[in-house]
Amino acid sequence: MIDIGASAPAFELGDHFGRRVSLAQFRGRRHVMLLFYPLDFTPT
Amino acid sequence: MPALEALLDRFYAAHTQPLGVSVDSAPCHANWGASLGGVSFPLLADFHPKGAVADSYGVYLGDKGLADRATIVVDAGGVVRYAKSVTPAGKRDMAELAAVCEDIDAVYGEPLPAREPGPGVGAGASLFVKSSCGFSRAALLARDNLHLESTLPARNVTDDAGALATLRELAGKEQAPCLIRPNGEPLLESKDIIAALAVAAAPIE
Repeated sequence: MIDIGASAPAFELGDHFGRRVSLAQFRGRRHVMLLFYPLDFTPT
Repeated sequence: MPALEALLDRFYAAHTQPLGVSVDSAPCHANWGASLGGVSFPLLADFHPKGAVADSYGVYLGDKGLADRATIVVDAGGVVRYAKSVTPAGKRDMAELAAVCEDIDAVYGEPLPAREPGPGVGAGASLFVKSSCGFSRAALLARDNLHLESTLPARNVTDDAGALATLRELAGKEQAPCLIRPNGEPLLESKDIIAALAVAAAPIE
């Protein structure tokens, strides 16, 4: 897993509303909490 | 995800945008979110190339082809401030994570702008759909994920001649899905409808 203090890798992915979402768009505006999980339709 | 949805205001107050990430596709996310009672924050499709973002954060379980159940908080400066796995079978404590984000926000050096909530879809809007139509289904899933069931009534023109006549009158043609805005203006493409609903109800920065 990535280390605390590391620079977060850039990404851009599509979301379930058809938007492109990138880490860069939040820079200087928002902290980002990434919640990785194995699969949809499984317990969270 | 429902536990997070219930605590969204705390995350937003802490200037934090939650983003769910798995290897599932965006349409799968939309169906799953709706099945949970609505997920209004972005669910990202780390779908192609599969798991590439999870891998870049060191949380991809390559032997399984799935991401670990792991949470990573990146501050507004782009620095990783929290990283923890609860294992794929484990469960996150969303209240604890809200406190983590509040702490990160409290020590972050620069002031961040407050969140601007969307304007809402407005009273008098309606969504016309038809049966056995993937585009209509996608629009309805977005409505449900954005918790708009009570404010945006849906009318199915397949079994309702009156609804079909109303659609023809308002949109000028019998095409569904169609979002009729409060000012009577029709929006006819599912992608445009979903984008407009997201901007109105759950915008991101």
